Amino acid sequence: MRRSRALWAGITAVVFAVIPLLTRDTFALRVVTEAMMWIGLAVAWDVLGGYTGYLNFGHGAFFGLGAYTTAVLMMRGHWPFALALAAGGVLAGAAAVVAGLPTLRLKGAYFAIATWALARAVQQLALVLEFTGGPDGMRLPPFLNPQFFYYLMWALVSVIFVVLWILLEHSAFGLKLQAIREDEEGAMALGLKPTTIKIQAFVLSTVPAGILGGVYAYWITFIDPASVLGDLVTDQSVVMAVFGGLGTLVGPAVGAVLIYAFKTFFWAYLSEYQVLYLIILGTVIALSVVFLPDGLIGLLTGRGRAEAPRSPEPADENPPELREAAP
Amino acid sequence: MSRELLAVDQVSMIFGGLRALDDVSFSVGSGEIVGLIGPNGAGKTTLFNVVSGYCRPSRGRVRFDGKDVTGQRPFHLARLGIARTFQIVKPFAGLTVLENVTVACLLHHPRRRHARQKAWEILEFTGLAERAGRPASGLTLAGRKRLEIAKALSLNPRLLLLDEVVAGLNPTEADRTIELILNIHRSGVSILIVEHIMRVIMNISDRVAVLNYGAKIAEGPPQQVAQDPGVIEAYLGEAAA
Repeated sequence: MRRSRALWAGITAVVFAVIPLLTRDTFALRVVTEAMMWIGLAVAWDVLGGYTGYLNFGHGAFFGLGAYTTAVLMMRGHWPFALALAAGGVLAGAAAVVAGLPTLRLKGAYFAIATWALARAVQQLALVLEFTGGPDGMRLPPFLNPQFFYYLMWALVSVIFVVLWILLEHSAFGLKLQAIREDEEGAMALGLKPTTIKIQAFVLSTVPAGILGGVYAYWITFIDPASVLGDLVTDQSVVMAVFGGLGTLVGPAVGAVLIYAFKTFFWAYLSEYQVLYLIILGTVIALSVVFLPDGLIGLLTGRGRAEAPRSPEPADENPPELREAAP
Repeated sequence: MSRELLAVDQVSMIFGGLRALDDVSFSVGSGEIVGLIGPNGAGKTTLFNVVSGYCRPSRGRVRFDGKDVTGQRPFHLARLGIARTFQIVKPFAGLTVLENVTVACLLHHPRRRHARQKAWEILEFTGLAERAGRPASGLTLAGRKRLEIAKALSLNPRLLLLDEVVAGLNPTEADRTIELILNIHRSGVSILIVEHIMRVIMNISDRVAVLNYGAKIAEGPPQQVAQDPGVIEAYLGEAAA
């Protein structure tokens, strides 16, 4: 099954690669470019959210950090784009280490709150600082070449996906993350250092977000605290990953495409009913959390992330501590 | 007694006003099986938590192979050669049985492929190979207890702490688990075992230590401990003694 999944991922990459050869329509290119960006953001979020079980509600802060780093270095420091982009990724990763050291010791819900607060703090910082342009945001030098951004996004998202695939599905690292997600104390007994491993996962999750933020800034040529540091980036990444299927990489990628397509369709053809978009989206998410805890991918493959026993033995249902308490 | 592997030296563990362990000293010699018994709440699991690094003792020292390891974290102790199972079993429920054991094998085989090969050997040895591809959450209680042993064994330990791995099993399963423990012991692993079932402790232990209300009340060969008036009183009440 893993082999066939890899095959599908390869086919998908090729399909995305030939799209610009088939159409010159800039709107279409733009839509697909952004769809690929969301794939990258959703799978990166899945490293921590799905594989490690830590819900990062500040994903957008790392995206925004990359966007602002790229913008500031290009505009104020006159750095070339590629270097500024790399710096954005590095800074996002460094921020994850600093933020993760205290917060990744917390239990899941507290981590979610801490990252959410961190994102709000970073947004406020961008609003009040001078070199970020405050509420007016920043303009970048226009580089109007849709094909360039298309292929840049394609290449980056492909690399992100392949690197994560190898690290999470084929190397020891992915297995360690899942062990920590399932039982941190039990994992410690086996020689794993949970905090160190979780910080590594956080970095692995945020560096791609920072890099994608940098590309986004140069591509759209204008960023402000609302667009790149608002809730939207986080919310959509989370929703795409949950809807697609946590802890699978493929699931979040599929979720990203479907949800982004739905959103684009809505905005392009039903713009009068925009208010309905969030209502429908919210309903779909609520339903999928309740009825599809393993996401779409769980539905398609019939094997979820955390499989419940198909035929639990009745005698096993009492937790051992209860049984021992009995006389 | 052979060379001392684990030494617990005057360990006390105080939780608020509760003295869970009160000045407990005992040791496990290299190659020994030591049984640890006591009524519910006597402090057996707390002692395990102290020895395996999950609790730092309020007072006292723990030495392993001559080195002071008091308060060292579980992942360090695992590396030094102390492995434990949990009374309330801790399978990685969403992973398969094979993956569960592979995680443990990563300690000495850092590459996932090598760890997987090693895990197969452990699964064969512990009789779980048939269930390798199943999610751990689908195992029976006996299977999950066995998985605990398999994971601990994968660490290639010198000292294995077994916390009630027989309790709750039917007689056939219990016999198979006892046989497994004896096989592990024969391969050169020293064992400290907590168990409620007296038959098990009396049959396999070289020595037995008895805890009651956090304090050690007896220690010695199984037969001698079984006849100790203080032990009988702790288990059956004063009238019986």
